[in-house]
Amino acid sequence: MSKPIAYLVFLVTAAFFGLFFLWPIATTVEEAFVVDGRFTLDFVHHIFVDPIYIEGLTNAFLIATCSTLAALLIAMPLALISDRYIFPGKTLLSSLVLVPLILPPFVGAIGIKQILGQEGALNILLSKAGLVDMSTPPDWLGEGRFWGIVIMNALHLYPILYLNVTAALANLDPAMEESAQNLGAGPWRRFRKITLPLAMPGIFAGATIVFIWSFTELGVPLIFDYQRVTSVQIFNGIKDISGNPMPYALVAVMLFFSVLLYIVGKHFFGRNTFTMTGRAAISTKQRKAPPLIGILCSGFFACIISLAIFPHIGVILMSFATDWYHSILPQSFTLAHYSDALGHELTVPSIANSLKYASISTLLDIVLGIAIAYVIVRTRIPGRGLLDALSMLPLAVPGLVLAFGYLAMTREGQPFHFLLPNGNPTLILVIAYAVRRLPYVVRSAVAGFQQTSVDLEEAAQNLGASPLRTLKRITIPLITANLIAGALLAFAFAMLEVSDSLILAQQQPHYPITKAIYTLFGALGNGHFLASALGAWSMVFLAITIMGASIALGKKLGALFRV
Amino acid sequence: MVSITIDKVSKSFGKTLALNNISLHIKAGELFFLLGSSGCGKTTLLRHIAGFYSPDKGKILFGTDDVTSTPPHKRNAAMMFQSYALWPHMTVAKNVAFGLEEQGKPKSQIKDLVAEALDTVKMAGYSERKINELSGGQQQRAALARALIVRPRCLLLDEPLSNLDAKLRLEMRSEIRRICKESGLTAVYVTHDQKEALSIADRIAILDSGSVEQVGSAKEIYCSPRSKSVAGFIGETNFIAGTVTGCKTDSQVDVETPLGQFTGRTSDPDWHPRSGDTITISIRPEAFRLTESRPEVNGITGQLASLTYLGEIAQYGIKAEGGSMINIAELNPQALHQPGESLCHASVDKDDVVIISN
Repeated sequence: MSKPIAYLVFLVTAAFFGLFFLWPIATTVEEAFVVDGRFTLDFVHHIFVDPIYIEGLTNAFLIATCSTLAALLIAMPLALISDRYIFPGKTLLSSLVLVPLILPPFVGAIGIKQILGQEGALNILLSKAGLVDMSTPPDWLGEGRFWGIVIMNALHLYPILYLNVTAALANLDPAMEESAQNLGAGPWRRFRKITLPLAMPGIFAGATIVFIWSFTELGVPLIFDYQRVTSVQIFNGIKDISGNPMPYALVAVMLFFSVLLYIVGKHFFGRNTFTMTGRAAISTKQRKAPPLIGILCSGFFACIISLAIFPHIGVILMSFATDWYHSILPQSFTLAHYSDALGHELTVPSIANSLKYASISTLLDIVLGIAIAYVIVRTRIPGRGLLDALSMLPLAVPGLVLAFGYLAMTREGQPFHFLLPNGNPTLILVIAYAVRRLPYVVRSAVAGFQQTSVDLEEAAQNLGASPLRTLKRITIPLITANLIAGALLAFAFAMLEVSDSLILAQQQPHYPITKAIYTLFGALGNGHFLASALGAWSMVFLAITIMGASIALGKKLGALFRV
Repeated sequence: MVSITIDKVSKSFGKTLALNNISLHIKAGELFFLLGSSGCGKTTLLRHIAGFYSPDKGKILFGTDDVTSTPPHKRNAAMMFQSYALWPHMTVAKNVAFGLEEQGKPKSQIKDLVAEALDTVKMAGYSERKINELSGGQQQRAALARALIVRPRCLLLDEPLSNLDAKLRLEMRSEIRRICKESGLTAVYVTHDQKEALSIADRIAILDSGSVEQVGSAKEIYCSPRSKSVAGFIGETNFIAGTVTGCKTDSQVDVETPLGQFTGRTSDPDWHPRSGDTITISIRPEAFRLTESRPEVNGITGQLASLTYLGEIAQYGIKAEGGSMINIAELNPQALHQPGESLCHASVDKDDVVIISN
């Protein structure tokens, strides 16, 4: 690529980031600190004296801490086993173990409520076994459903930690441990003194993402109807958004804590802090597990996987249930919810909307991803490092913050009001989805470019192909697999996006799936069942997308997630 | 077929001066070698000719056509990459057809030309193979066919044989010469392997630290190295420091050294040493003959210190008077002399005594 084109691409992508990443954040912060052109700390101060907001923040912190610890508890043993041993069914199991990442967590929350609620399937089962007295049933979800949120977050997010820790462990030189063994250290000491400290950057990188994610998670607490957490307080705040700066102030506080955490992580753990990716090399230290241990390993993986998809199985059961109350399983099954759901005015348009928003934003991501990756890997222009860092930042900034930013920047009278014409959120949602999911596509494209020798491109130019023709005929075909992997993640996450969808889509005809599910869930009558049916539909869509691509790629499912 | 002119080209990467004011003229139809150790700038120069780098200073001409600022895809200077750079997502035929497709040739014509090109490199029958189904030698042939089919103005080869095993290398290097000569191509060939260069080059340029040290035919470079670095790089040699005592003609220079009197010739006809100049003598090991006695001039005497027997050659190390070690190679050795034997003598023809300015 010639220098002028490289600069042009750099400027266009940087401008995109400036306008649709930095600008909305700045707008949000401005709303929180500026009133009538005057700087003020009143609103932020108000947060820290109002007991309701303090409780919300405390709960958000507690949820994030507990979710992260629980996810660590699940991911660490999985990662260690997968790093050490080859066991029966490993390829399949280590792919399936990643699947919960793309299952919509707030849909799963519906299932968790059904199964672990006080009147839920578990308590009924236990009472049938005579272990529980149904007149005073135990509350598994905790007061206000706190633990329900933590369980759902942990089951949803542990794959991020698993990917990071396996990558970190795979990069460790086996000689590190061997030399400790050689000097007489036992297995536990080796783990504590050598492996753990060396894998710490990877663990921390994953933990930071999980922490920020659950700190600002909106969908799950909403389904649990848990009001005493900041994200839900913010969401409720937009109902009377006109002139109320408190949601913005809350968003600013959340942003502050997220960025603080990001910076602390970067500072202490240096490079590669936010690669939730990392292509794990096949390490030589893996050995075949002895038969019994091998079966134990497989069993452990299978257990975690079933546990993680349990909530979603609950949802699927519910979508087929005529009635599911005070029984272990639904009393009888029906397809009525599916036909009802298809007949409902919300569902079909919402599926169409989500498909539209998600595919356009994925296309945008692919174009931007290729351009950014090209500049990062193939050019030497100054500022490409900045672009690299910028393109990863959406991982660290809560979706809620950006959603509010977009809301603020598209209000009447703002320069970007044209992106929300007559309340039609198509443009702004496409941009919002694209920005949030860009890191996956950029990372996968960068990996593709790095794996593709420059020689292959030069050979094409040498034989008379212009740079653009070379990109089309050589580079893009060679990195297709990477692009598909990144695009799939982007697409799947866009289909399930909660914050932007709930906040920016205000008119029913424009609702995406997630908002339709949320609305149906709150509806009276058979709303729960319709929401479950729509949730099941969305999972079917995702499954088909992922399977289709995995067949098309001719690769194992796991490769899709190891962007 | 065009000539290539490199005119005072300089290039820096950061603070490193990769090419230092290089001027070369490569004749039309010539098989020209750029030879040097790694890091000498030979690949950098080749990439300038291909257009992947543009010079900081100087010009590059194909014939009379200044291509200095022509982008690579408009130069029509086909290159064979060290890694071959065959595209793994295409078949052999697709790889070879690429250049013609970019030229917009009609499909039917492309098909015939591809078959012909694969035939030239003896790869007919492999056209539908995938690249990863080819051996190293076959990949090399495919890459050559891909470069040749576009009828390039010149062919650029970047260490084309370095990924092949020793036997295949011998076979392919004469093959490359045959194809270049049959197609009448101007070819620039980069290598660090002196045997490759000496065996098939029309002319060779020796590069060192970004500068051209010497340009000449294989025989000129080997027999008349103009600098110590060229003499040391090509083949093995013995350096003996000395002082000029007399200079009758260029081919009759007398030198006094710690090892004795030598008479030899200068390697550079434009250079006329004067009495008192300190110079270096270069004598190839195989130029020495072991003798019964020591001649008055062009002879050495010393203790036999080592013997390496290589079959066709016996290499002796002689610790000469004055302390320096002289290497002697005896071709087709009959009786081997064992180290530690008493004093031995060797002599050399004055044509083999090359005098190099310091």
